[in-house]
Amino acid sequence: MIKLSPKLSQKLSYLFLFLATILAIIPGVLIISIIIAKGWSVFFTLKFLTSMPTSGMLKGGILPAIIGTFLLVIISIFFVLPIGVGAAIYLNEYSKNNLFTKIIKLAIINLAGVPSIVYGLFGLGIFVIYLKLGVSIIAGALTLSMMELPVVITTAYGALNSVPLSFREASLSLGVSRWKTIVHIVLPNAIPGILTGAVLSTARIAGETAPLLFTAVAFYTPHLPHSIRDQVMILPYHLYITATQIPNMEENRIFATALALLIIVLSMNFIAIIARIYFRKNRKW
Amino acid sequence: MVDKIKVKNLSCYYNKKCVLESLDINIEQNKILSIMGPANSGKTTFLRTLNRMNDFNVNYLRKGEVYLDGYSIFCMNMENLRKRVGMLFAMPIPLPMSIYENIIYAPKCLNIILSKSEQNIIVEQALRDASLWDEVKDRLNSSAMKISGGQQQRLCIARILAVNPEIILFDEPCSGLDPISTAKVEESMIELKRKYTIVLVTNNVKQASRVSDKTAFFLMGKLVEINKTDELFVSPKKKQTEDYITGRFG
Ligand SMILES: Nc1ncnc2c1ncn2[C@@H]1O[C@H](COP(=O)(O)OP(=O)(O)O)[C@@H](O)[C@H]1O
Ligand SMILES: [Mg+2]
Repeated sequence: MIKLSPKLSQKLSYLFLFLATILAIIPGVLIISIIIAKGWSVFFTLKFLTSMPTSGMLKGGILPAIIGTFLLVIISIFFVLPIGVGAAIYLNEYSKNNLFTKIIKLAIINLAGVPSIVYGLFGLGIFVIYLKLGVSIIAGALTLSMMELPVVITTAYGALNSVPLSFREASLSLGVSRWKTIVHIVLPNAIPGILTGAVLSTARIAGETAPLLFTAVAFYTPHLPHSIRDQVMILPYHLYITATQIPNMEENRIFATALALLIIVLSMNFIAIIARIYFRKNRKW
Repeated sequence: MVDKIKVKNLSCYYNKKCVLESLDINIEQNKILSIMGPANSGKTTFLRTLNRMNDFNVNYLRKGEVYLDGYSIFCMNMENLRKRVGMLFAMPIPLPMSIYENIIYAPKCLNIILSKSEQNIIVEQALRDASLWDEVKDRLNSSAMKISGGQQQRLCIARILAVNPEIILFDEPCSGLDPISTAKVEESMIELKRKYTIVLVTNNVKQASRVSDKTAFFLMGKLVEINKTDELFVSPKKKQTEDYITGRFG
């Protein structure tokens, strides 16, 4: 073995850690810069964002895909928030710390790791076929909310848990009931954390294709959706088909679609970060 | 002498370990009873049993009875009991809202009052009774987290007064406060005994002798001695009590 002086080995390990960090962020930087470089020219012909695709997707814009993505995400949040927060309240405030509760918590953690295609097949079986919702926005949104549920429960649980126990005790000691204590003291102080978690989980699913493949997605729709029973186009799937299924597709159009998806997801993350900073600053305890 | 609370053969356990043993105490109406004793002698457990704050703790178990005006508190509705028996904790716990909202919070939740003017009256009265009104009357809408520790503790007293209890339990209310704030809290306590029955847990022997009518001495989960404060401090009957009040203890 060569013996290095402590100073040199210190420097070498710093260098190694620094290089590892650089290596870790290079792919991200490359992806974003290439997408922007190739996509921005088409992206900023604003018609691209605001018009329907034409000529078998070779011309026109991506409006229906943008709208489809937004619809699915927003509707799914309406389902997932009340159920997720309700479950988190039960787990954090009411459940006893017994085997049953431990199993539930373990199950929730594991649900977060189920592959999204499995959720897609499950959604196909339950919502599309069994509940006869058909391939539709509502079936897709329900499938997405199942996927978000573990994340929302976990973040809401954490947010509720971070409200100091002493607040609950102060309220209870005044003769206020447990439920009113939760509604008036615990929830208001947990809402920032709950919402941040919800936005983050939304950003995660906005880019998902697999759970929607059999439940909501159409290759092409000639018009915008009229009802939640319609099929929709979504950005990630549209990206996939324009990149692989359509010959003679102009490359910049593909990258412009990717740019649109990237901007939606990143701006949601950005909103969540800003909201978190804002609420931290205004936190009253 | 009316006994507001009668404790009969009360024992308390955490994880099956006994921390209060066969306690018998009577608490007189409109008097201040102070309970002193070294740390871990079960004082807090006793208070938390009186308004059943410990009922949420799954490791906690009790035997024996506590009667409030002759009725067993363990058969009462928990919320009603806590409304009648308020509790002030060692550390001030203002809720994260304004001074005004802190006080009106419980009455609102308990549906006691309705109109804005009635609310104003309750807030002012509670703050006056807790000797805090003059210091905060110009900033009722500012956050309760921003006032000093002593003011926060008196705000917590005012918050209890606003639900109009019969008994107030103080758990070392001055342990985190400076001498001047302590004097103010003590002052409001003496004012309060005209309307309320007070149990004051304190690790400060002087405080017990200053404010209370009766004093009890707890040691390792047992009631060693209870007597009128002047008598207990002049001629304690038990050696342990004497050692404790003369500071020769541990
Ligand atoms: N929540 C709890 N769980 C388990 N043991 C506890 C709990 N609270 C207090 N104890 C124990 O009970 C005994 C009495 O505590 P406490 O009533 O807080 O005494 P004091 O208020 O006189 O200091 C101590 O030995 C303490 O460790
Ligand atoms: Mg204590």
